[in-house]
Amino acid sequence: MPPKKKILIIDDEPEMVEGLQVFLEDNGYETCSAFNGKDGITVLQKERPDLVTLDIQMPEDTGARFYRNLTKDKEFKDTPVIVISGLPGRHLSTSHPYAVFEKPIDKEKLLATIRQALGG
Amino acid sequence: MDDRYRQYFDALPCFLTVQDRNLKILSANRAFRKAFGEHEGRCCYQVYKHLPEPCEVCPVERTFRDGQLHQSEEVVTTLEGRELAVVVYTTPIRDDAGNITAVMEMSADITEIKHLQNQHKASRELYRLLFEEVPCYISIQDPDMRIVRANRLHRETFGTAYGCHCYKVLKHRDEECVPCVVRESFKTGQVTQREEVVKALDGRERYVLVTAAPIRDESGGIQRVIEMSADITCLRQLQDKLSSVGLLVGSISHDLKGLLNIMDGGIYMVNSGIGKGDMTRVNRGWEISLRSMARIRSLVQNILYYAKDRELVLEKISARSLLTEVCDQVEPRARELGIDLQRRFDQEPGEFDGDITAVRSLMINLLENSLDACRVDLNKKGHQVSAGFTDLPDAVRFEVVDNGIGMDRETVDRAFSLFYSSKGAGGTGLGLFIADKITKAHGGAIDLHSEPGKGTRFVVRIPKGLPQPGMNACSEA
Repeated sequence: MPPKKKILIIDDEPEMVEGLQVFLEDNGYETCSAFNGKDGITVLQKERPDLVTLDIQMPEDTGARFYRNLTKDKEFKDTPVIVISGLPGRHLSTSHPYAVFEKPIDKEKLLATIRQALGG
Repeated sequence: MDDRYRQYFDALPCFLTVQDRNLKILSANRAFRKAFGEHEGRCCYQVYKHLPEPCEVCPVERTFRDGQLHQSEEVVTTLEGRELAVVVYTTPIRDDAGNITAVMEMSADITEIKHLQNQHKASRELYRLLFEEVPCYISIQDPDMRIVRANRLHRETFGTAYGCHCYKVLKHRDEECVPCVVRESFKTGQVTQREEVVKALDGRERYVLVTAAPIRDESGGIQRVIEMSADITCLRQLQDKLSSVGLLVGSISHDLKGLLNIMDGGIYMVNSGIGKGDMTRVNRGWEISLRSMARIRSLVQNILYYAKDRELVLEKISARSLLTEVCDQVEPRARELGIDLQRRFDQEPGEFDGDITAVRSLMINLLENSLDACRVDLNKKGHQVSAGFTDLPDAVRFEVVDNGIGMDRETVDRAFSLFYSSKGAGGTGLGLFIADKITKAHGGAIDLHSEPGKGTRFVVRIPKGLPQPGMNACSEA
């Protein structure tokens, strides 16, 4: 059996993280999490996830900053990022996340997108 | 009279008479005879004024008395009954011995001038009325921006003193504004317009649309500019209200979406937990669902407080049981966020008259605000929020203190304004606005001390006695 793929969930609402974690683990993924972009970078470097789901609107702009840091990092710039946003049509102007989801998320669609991003 | 003089006398375009001591007309020129008819044997006052007796003050009599030239203004009536305004000059006529034998009286018709004068006076009065009573602020300024005149509304609203600088009176500034419409008008000679915010004598800000127009003197130069300001505060307030409704819809739907997402996660845990027979998961999922439900409820409550004026429904409230209930409600979320929630309650129950739904919303808003202030503070480990009350003789004093991110000066100043949120996407900007409204509706006061990086302290003081009847839980602030 191949090793489980790991997903880093970043969201400033702990209960949001918890729900997503349970759902993704039920679907065969390993998860790790951070409640802000600053901690997100630390977890990213420690856990080396295969994919990141990122709430882009977090206090002090740490969501967007996290994304910029990740895309600048040679090691992680190819890690797919799925942006989760509370505002419709809010995309990152300078970069291109793998996908953008608007809250409330359609879980099945999210799962399908994650599978596609991680190659099945 | 010499014939030649007789000719001149007759040809003069004013009324000329020569009168004796009894004011009897001895001689009159053609203009006089034409206008007033025959004068033979009649007196001045009879012919000129159709009076039985001499006038009280008579320039002819005065000239007879003192030998001087005199002048007066009179109203006389012509043969046709037309009234004429005349200016009268009198000159003595002396014999060889120097005695005054007669007085010559010349009356020039100034009816037209009088008429113009009256018209001028009326239009001045009209202009004055317009200037004084027009419902906008008007001032006339010199090239130094000093107010040389101001209308009543201007003086009453701003306490205007003549000679003061416009920027001092309207904006409490020590320097000229940049840009300045009056300066612009002096420079370009054009009418200029601009929106400004000025401060009235009562300290309230007024939004005004200012129009400046040059006043030209006879040579075309501009020594004065008139500044007319229409008060558009009501319009601005309406605009604010309308745009705030738009903002409200946006930010509330954003918040709702987030909370629905959390609830969705909770429901998933309940469902999947049942499928797996995992009761721990079911319970946890249920807990998350209930909590997001409670947060949605208080969000909706806030919308209701904002949307309509609610009458207070008063009852005896114990601060102790109120705070216990509220703390119980927010405690799980505090724990989740790693925040230590402390209760600092008085020994006394702290009873007061209040609307329980409103006061509950008030306390939840303050506590949620403090939890958020801790949540967004990434620079400290170990956050505390405390909620407490003190039973005072005539009031209950609530205190909510956190060691979260704190607020800078600007944020403190605007904390209670509608839709001002320093939390970026995390706040609707509704919570503290509602908290302030509810406190005021209870006749209380809310106070805020904060320091960036250190934390925030809210102090709410609500009087124990009944607020005045007819106060709304959500009247306009």
